[in-house]
Parts: sequence; C-alpha cells; structure tokens
Amino acid sequence: MSDFYELTTDVIDIVSVARRVVPPECGATVTLDGYARRFTTDKATGEVRETEYLVYEAYEPMALKEMAKLVERAKVEFEISAVGIVHRLGRLEIGETSVVISVAAPHRKAAFTACEWLIKELKRTVPIWKKEVYADGEAWSEGDSVASA
Amino acid sequence: MRLLSTLMRINLLMFGAVADAAGTREAEVEVAEGLTAGELVESLKAKHPGLAGQKLLIAVDQEYVAASTPLEPGCEVAIFTPVSGG
Repeated sequence: MSDFYELTTDVIDIVSVARRVVPPECGATVTLDGYARRFTTDKATGEVRETEYLVYEAYEPMALKEMAKLVERAKVEFEISAVGIVHRLGRLEIGETSVVISVAAPHRKAAFTACEWLIKELKRTVPIWKKEVYADGEAWSEGDSVASA
Repeated sequence: MRLLSTLMRINLLMFGAVADAAGTREAEVEVAEGLTAGELVESLKAKHPGLAGQKLLIAVDQEYVAASTPLEPGCEVAIFTPVSGG
C-alpha cells in the first residue's frame, strides 16, 4: 500500500483518507483531524481573539516535497507501514478540517507516536501559512521554525 | 561593497505576511552575481519597512538554505515567515 501526501482546496473527507491506509499486515490506523478553531490566544499578549474564518496558503511544490520527506523520515524512525497526509488550502470555516494525518502500523503504539511526530514536524517545516480573519482585522499566524535568515 | 559586479536574474517568490508587506507575490529581479540569500533578505527588508524585525526563512529551488548560501543565476528564491500550517 502506498503513502500519499496531498494539498486540496476541497473539503477533506476524513474517513476516505483514513481508509486509504489500511494495509492487511497492519491492525491499527491512527488519524489526526486538525480543524479550524474559533478562539486563539495571542502568544505575546495572552489576548484571546475570536476568529471568523481561516485562509491557508502554501508554497505548493515545496510543501509537497517537505511532506514527502516527513513521510520518508517517519517510516525510518517508527514501526509503521503507511502514511497519508492531506492539507486543505484556501478559505476554511470554523470547525472545518485543515489537515488529516493517517498512520497505519502493525501495532497502535507506533502509529500514535508517529502521528504526533508528523503533525509536530509538519507545523515546523512544511511551507503552509494560516491567516486568521477576525471581525475587525486579520493576522498571519507565525510558527516556530527550522532555519532562520 | 562589491565593485564591477555583474548582474544575474533570479525569480523571487513571497508568501503570507511577506507578500502582504511587499505588495507582490512574485518578481523577477536583477541582483549582483554571488549575492547571498541573507543579503537578498536584508535588501528586501530595507525596501519594505513592514518586514523589519521579522524572522524570515529562505528556500532556494524549494529547499531551505542558510543565509550564507550564494544565489545562482536563474534560481527560484522563496522568502517567508516561519510556517504555520496544520
């Protein structure tokens, strides 16, 4: 069964992503459903803001390359068999899924660990940005990062 | 200071907050041959005050690079803030 990583502007069907990684030698798939949250806390000021909707953009060819690297590294690092990652781009309403990561493994523990590692690394290395749009303005969310200039 | 430097063309891509501050997402620019990725970022910051003090990342031909990396003619340079997907 092959791995996959995709970007889409369509609504993500979580079940169909999860069911694409069910190799017969495995017994568990762990799936993360990351979705657009209503409230965010400003890291600097602690102020809580209410988001109306989100806009994601990506440096698409590089994002796909970085996702491929993550999958490759995860398969070396953990006892897992298959990985599927789908990230949504464009405008997302609150509650809509922004990212799905499904990891299949012979045993669940490795799948949980790998899934957590994958989302952490994705948020650090894959060139995708999130803009939060409020009733009275908007702001690009800033992540932690790999290399700096 | 570089004297008698020849120019080369590079393709500059900007995303997110950088694109907003620069008012553009893509530009073909002429820079001095041998310019480093970091020097390009500094010149961009000087041109667009909105970027001052911003932590910026650089990718050349879709791979992260250090600021000291010299740019090659015709390369694709992307400049962006720390990523925030997920």
